[in-house]
Amino acid sequence: MINDKSSNDKDPAPIFKKWSYWYALVIGVLLLLIIFFYFFTKQFS
Amino acid sequence: MSSPDWIVLTVTLLGIVAYGLYKSSTTKNLDGYFLCNHSVPWYMVLLSIMGTQASAVTFLSAPGQAYTDGMRFVQFYFGLPLAMVVLCITFVPVFRRLRIYTAYEFIEQRFDLKTRTLTSFLFLLQRGVSTGISISAPAIILSSLLGWNIFWTNIFMGGLLVIYTVSGGAKSVAYTQQLQLIIIIAGMFMAGYMVVHLLPEKVGFLDALHVSGKAGKLNVISSGRDEHGFNWKDTYNIWSGLIGGFFLALSYFGTDQVQVGRYLTARTTGESKIGLLLNGLVKIPMQFLILMVGALVFAFYQYHPEPVFFNKTQVELLAKSKYRDSLITLKQNYDAVQLKKIAVRNQLDNGTIRQGTPAWQDSQLVLREAEDNKTKSRATIKRWLNDKQVNGNDNDTNYIFLRFVVDYLPKGLVGLLIAVIFLAAWGSNAAALNSLASATIVDFHKRFSKKDLTEKREYDLSRWYTLGWGVFCVVVAQLAYNIGNSLIEAVNKLGSLFYGVVLGIFLVAFYLKKVGSGAVFVSALVIEALVITIHMLNQYGVIGLSYLWLNLVGALGVALLAWLINPLFKAKLA
Repeated sequence: MINDKSSNDKDPAPIFKKWSYWYALVIGVLLLLIIFFYFFTKQFS
Repeated sequence: MSSPDWIVLTVTLLGIVAYGLYKSSTTKNLDGYFLCNHSVPWYMVLLSIMGTQASAVTFLSAPGQAYTDGMRFVQFYFGLPLAMVVLCITFVPVFRRLRIYTAYEFIEQRFDLKTRTLTSFLFLLQRGVSTGISISAPAIILSSLLGWNIFWTNIFMGGLLVIYTVSGGAKSVAYTQQLQLIIIIAGMFMAGYMVVHLLPEKVGFLDALHVSGKAGKLNVISSGRDEHGFNWKDTYNIWSGLIGGFFLALSYFGTDQVQVGRYLTARTTGESKIGLLLNGLVKIPMQFLILMVGALVFAFYQYHPEPVFFNKTQVELLAKSKYRDSLITLKQNYDAVQLKKIAVRNQLDNGTIRQGTPAWQDSQLVLREAEDNKTKSRATIKRWLNDKQVNGNDNDTNYIFLRFVVDYLPKGLVGLLIAVIFLAAWGSNAAALNSLASATIVDFHKRFSKKDLTEKREYDLSRWYTLGWGVFCVVVAQLAYNIGNSLIEAVNKLGSLFYGVVLGIFLVAFYLKKVGSGAVFVSALVIEALVITIHMLNQYGVIGLSYLWLNLVGALGVALLAWLINPLFKAKLA
């Protein structure tokens, strides 16, 4: 095990400016999926 | 199986082994063998993570689960995207900065050797046995359905992948998983298309969904509440999925070397994160589509004779037992009701029976009677199978999808879908062997050896450990078949007994900086005993709690107890 401080764990996020936008996207898509599944369940029950 | 099926199956499997060997060149050291010299791009990390998580049982069990219990199983994955975010913020940057081979090395740096050894040992125990079972479970199903010899099925299910896993380590695992997942997704899409294609001409995709939905198979969201309030025993609902699923996913992706070993191979920390985050985006839709195949198979059987029990071997077992005559009578009655149901379904769909007429009311009665008859017939068969003299297996959920494949899909596609089962097993098992070998050499052999090992020697030993674990897992698979289903079920729950506690140790390491090794070690032992006690009480019906909640109890229990007793250890040191 090498404690390599030079290893870059602050890689820039691709596409978005910040990693927090990626996190918001993942959580946002989860919420949208749950809403979609709710209406899907209602529609076909 | 027909000749075209055998050709497709053989070519696919040998092609994967050859591709794995072709991609097996690595530098002859631990960096090359276990971390691919940090050379894997983000899209391969994503496919490797997905290929590791999706085992053969995923593709056998999920459609059957939707068929019997509906699509609510998808809620099990609701916590996964949240866990991916937490991993990217906390776990991944630390693991990458420390340039570790196994997650448990971090535990020694943060606490001490004994805590690292405990977590790594729990990993080896749980992952070693569960990999053996994950070879055995699909092998039993295939051998039962196709009449194959179980010994050789186990060898092919668990043995062939050892060739390229030993040869190329993590690099071969990642490259073959990429190809395997493409074939698996293509095969499942073809199966889904064929289900709809085989429906009567006037019944389309949406009609099939309405048929399944009316029978309660499209219940994707459920609250977990019944007339008595929240049902803690209910495994798949939105709350157990979001909370219990979150802790399970955090534990699996953050502390299980089988997954940590995949995203550590990425070129950069950013590419490790992107692989995990994209997994958080695509996992739920993918699982939703796999479950939908099961719901469509349910619709298909509303227009075709539905087997009273999907595991043929068990029906044959009953035919040789004292229930032989009763079985013949039951099947005659069942088949007659099925034919009546199919006739009514077709009349409803071609417009012969119009809604609101007396004939329509009669048709609804026939459909209800058919459903009641199915429920009663299946209950009777299960009761007979549970008779000690018969000693059968009353669960046929995992046989539903494959029985449909074998009975109705065209030649060639059957072979491809059986190849899908093999490839799914190989993908997850190859990653497991690679991670078991890395924990053995790094956390035990290298850590406790008094001799200095050369890079070449470490590489050679890693290959031998991979081979050794491969043999161990195949032996466990052979034993599992002889011991039977009760043990398989018990071992399947083994993970949830340990996952929570191991996650608790990691949570303390990351978030409770003031808590020391003594407090966390004692807490882990105490909470492990508590989790096992809760599990036993649950097994004997004293309490009712779904196993998903054990992850939450284990993780938060360790964190809370360690925080509470930490001052005692500090006082002792002072």
